[in-house]
Amino acid sequence: MRLPTDFSRARTGLLATALSASVLLFSCQEAGKDKAADTTAVDLNAPLTGTVTAELTDAPLVPKPLTYNTPKKVMVELEVIEKVMKISDDTEYTFWTFGGKVPGKFIRVRVGDLVDFTLKNAPDSKVVHNIDLHAVNGPGGGAEATNVAPGQSANFQFRVLQPGLFVYHCATGPVGMHIANGMYGLILVEPAEGLPKVDREFYLMQGDFYTKGKFEAQGLQPFDEEKAIKEQADYVLFNGRVRSTTGKNALQANVGENVRLFVGNGGPNLVSSFHAIGEIFDKVYMEGGSAVNHNVQTTLIPAGGSSVVEMSLQVPGVLNLVDHSIYRAFNKGAIAQIKVSGAENPAVFKRSK
Amino acid sequence: MENMKRFVWLILLLTASAGAFAQAGRAGAKPMHTVAKGVYEPFFRTAATLPVPVAAFRLDEYAVTNAEFIEFVKQNPAWRRSRVNRLFADKNYLLHWATDTTLAPANAPLLQAPVVSVSWFAAQAYAKWQGKRLPTVAEWELAGNGTPRHIRFHSLTDYILDWYKRPNPKVLPPVRSTYVNQYGLYDMHGLIWEWTFDFNSFVGSTDSRGNTTDEVQAFCAAGAVNVKDKTDYAGFMRYGYRGSLKGNFCIQNLGFRCAKSI
Ligand SMILES: [Cu+2]
Repeated sequence: MRLPTDFSRARTGLLATALSASVLLFSCQEAGKDKAADTTAVDLNAPLTGTVTAELTDAPLVPKPLTYNTPKKVMVELEVIEKVMKISDDTEYTFWTFGGKVPGKFIRVRVGDLVDFTLKNAPDSKVVHNIDLHAVNGPGGGAEATNVAPGQSANFQFRVLQPGLFVYHCATGPVGMHIANGMYGLILVEPAEGLPKVDREFYLMQGDFYTKGKFEAQGLQPFDEEKAIKEQADYVLFNGRVRSTTGKNALQANVGENVRLFVGNGGPNLVSSFHAIGEIFDKVYMEGGSAVNHNVQTTLIPAGGSSVVEMSLQVPGVLNLVDHSIYRAFNKGAIAQIKVSGAENPAVFKRSK
Repeated sequence: MENMKRFVWLILLLTASAGAFAQAGRAGAKPMHTVAKGVYEPFFRTAATLPVPVAAFRLDEYAVTNAEFIEFVKQNPAWRRSRVNRLFADKNYLLHWATDTTLAPANAPLLQAPVVSVSWFAAQAYAKWQGKRLPTVAEWELAGNGTPRHIRFHSLTDYILDWYKRPNPKVLPPVRSTYVNQYGLYDMHGLIWEWTFDFNSFVGSTDSRGNTTDEVQAFCAAGAVNVKDKTDYAGFMRYGYRGSLKGNFCIQNLGFRCAKSI
């Protein structure tokens, strides 16, 4: 899954190095041509304007929009924690996490920032972990610099060159198992000018889970690698737990508000057909990149990919957010909710007597 | 650069080993078993890696316990927690002990549990003191592959994976509490991780480039193409674990047992 991206990433990394040394010969070469555009916005020789510690949040919360508009050194520290948590009301699972929850902490930086990244592995961890951030131009997205034994930590720095919503995940072998256990999260790279203001922002991340027992079988259920290899998921979840974001845990919003969802898909296997029942996405930043589509019913989110969707809420009620591969929503848990409060709006929707 | 690093390690190794007095006559106090000669298939396959023939050797029946290690530090004060050189053991060295030479009374059951939070250098010194040595990766893997005598689980791989999936227990169980294999060796899997002599190939490597990159690739996804058996999740994880270590690391679930050539 990483081979092609690694290749192009390595190339971009080289290019960045070349640019930083003010060697611009690449611009006339075929290979460097389209990539050059990505880095022109970032002046690698410009001085950093101070150091900040990144605000990190657990889903469904998102760090506040950034208020600075010059590049800074951003300190990020994540700890890998292996822990037994509920995957459903009566079912437990040994999750491997970035920061103690699934998905991992949401990281928010600005294009041009220099990220100083420290990955810790808790002393009582059983196994080795690392991190591959898709926002990184460099070997393994950071994975090779961060293979961390239990009780140890590793540090590396990377320059954020391209805006977008990027997945990060553990890439320690067997990668599938680490991802299947919940080792993924999102890092948002704001464009230089920031994102348009909205009323609310939320963080959702889909993942598929494979257990020895069936869906919601009671007790502690171990990971089932056979099912994972066959891609027969027992659970398809938003934010790592059945009913994580429904009922009393539903996201809250009001009629008339503009809501932005940062949606990731950790996989390990399944592609999401992300859909809001009873709403149309006004804007979709396709695959978490810079291209914006409008008036979208369902958007595809690849495993190891993301999407940013925005919608204005016209009528009150409960909005169900689902993977429209619909058995996943009704039989495997892939459902989240936004509770929209406010006055009825019969001009938009009216129930006939 | 890579050569320089290896040189430094070598110096450290020699210095560290000098810190312990070899003590003749103690070997034999602890049962050892013979592992018949065999062949170790390296987990990560490159043009340079070939199956490794392994001569028959002897291996401790069970991991070195806290009680045994207390005896060692009593007789080798340089290896006491308060005196050890940080180059040879990081700040977590014997963190679970109450003092330099004792466990807290409440931790008495741990006396017969494997000693953990010990560095590779400390394990080396202990082995030397015993007139033994650490097993190589090839030897350890050969021994670890021994068939369990009483199968209480679906397969050895399932059993190992099940252990990897569980968080560390609050109190580490005693040695000989898991299973015994065809050689008479206890707890090769399911209790702790164990140090090996060449865990990170920083000594005795035949590859002049240094193996670090290969190892990193083996447990990063990019290297998966060269893995011998992609379903050998357990082998994958041991490989990754060893690759992340440095000689002075002291980790809560990492101990050791000693070997002897025949
Ligand atoms: Cu991991």
